[in-house]
Amino acid sequence: MATSSREFGEFAILVSDLEGATGWVLKPEGLCKGDICYPVRNAGELSDGVNIDLASFAKFTNQSIVFDRGYEVVALGDSAPTRAESMSSLDAPDFMLPDIYGKQVSFSDFNRRKRLLLAWSSW
Amino acid sequence: MALDADVKAVIEWATKEALTFPVLIDKFHIVADLYGFVNVPAAIWVDENNKIVRPADGTPGSDLFRSFSHVDSEVHHNLLRSWVHNNVLDLNDSQVRDFQLPPSQELQDARLHRRIAIALRERGGVGDEIGSRKHLARAEELAPFDWTIRRGNMPLVGVDPFGDEFFKFVDGWSRAGRPGYRLGTGRETKPETI
Repeated sequence: MATSSREFGEFAILVSDLEGATGWVLKPEGLCKGDICYPVRNAGELSDGVNIDLASFAKFTNQSIVFDRGYEVVALGDSAPTRAESMSSLDAPDFMLPDIYGKQVSFSDFNRRKRLLLAWSSW
Repeated sequence: MALDADVKAVIEWATKEALTFPVLIDKFHIVADLYGFVNVPAAIWVDENNKIVRPADGTPGSDLFRSFSHVDSEVHHNLLRSWVHNNVLDLNDSQVRDFQLPPSQELQDARLHRRIAIALRERGGVGDEIGSRKHLARAEELAPFDWTIRRGNMPLVGVDPFGDEFFKFVDGWSRAGRPGYRLGTGRETKPETI
């Protein structure tokens, strides 16, 4: 996700861009995605009303974050404890990736069948 | 699913024969993260109820690297056939969990640095290649023994993934006790015949 850094927090984007960039929405009850809402203990640290600090956002939503202000790039992902939990649930997470022709394919397109997910590479 | 950043390299391999399954490209290693793939070739089995019934595990297609992997391809292929045709599984849920290696926070951060590197590489602006290499290097510092990062980065920085650098990495990884992943669940390996 690329964005422009603003003078708020460690790495800020506009509140109005949050949902498009992350799928999360800032509501009065906290940070929400689908049915899940995380309360925000220190709202002033997260947002000044216009900007939202993604470093605080990552903290409040238990995500990992790496950003580079110089290059104006940020990456968010699941933290190690979150990944450990999702792996041990044995519930196969869905994903969508392009095939070699550029067509988007979801793992769930093959639901209700036995699936072999093979990781390989050219290297 | 190919852990490649360049579609061209994948297409070259994936179009050699007519395949009946989709070949996907995971250039940001999203699925490697979700399922815990730390090297290739490796596979996950998911049943009709969307449950993982076999963890990410080395699954060589042939015995070309048998002396290194200690995994017999035939044993794995037979296990796969038993599951597909007869619903026979050799690992129960708790054994699947025991075999999983949850990532360290360093590995998760390394994956994010790598994603930034790939994004910068694709953005292709002035100086982006320098930034990309900086984040690839940081990913390698954070995850010095993860093959998808160490070896997966090699083609991105013009290093032969089967050359001196690679063997230096394998040597260091072996001397460190092969950390970060397991090859074969122990049920895939026939006794050494030497």
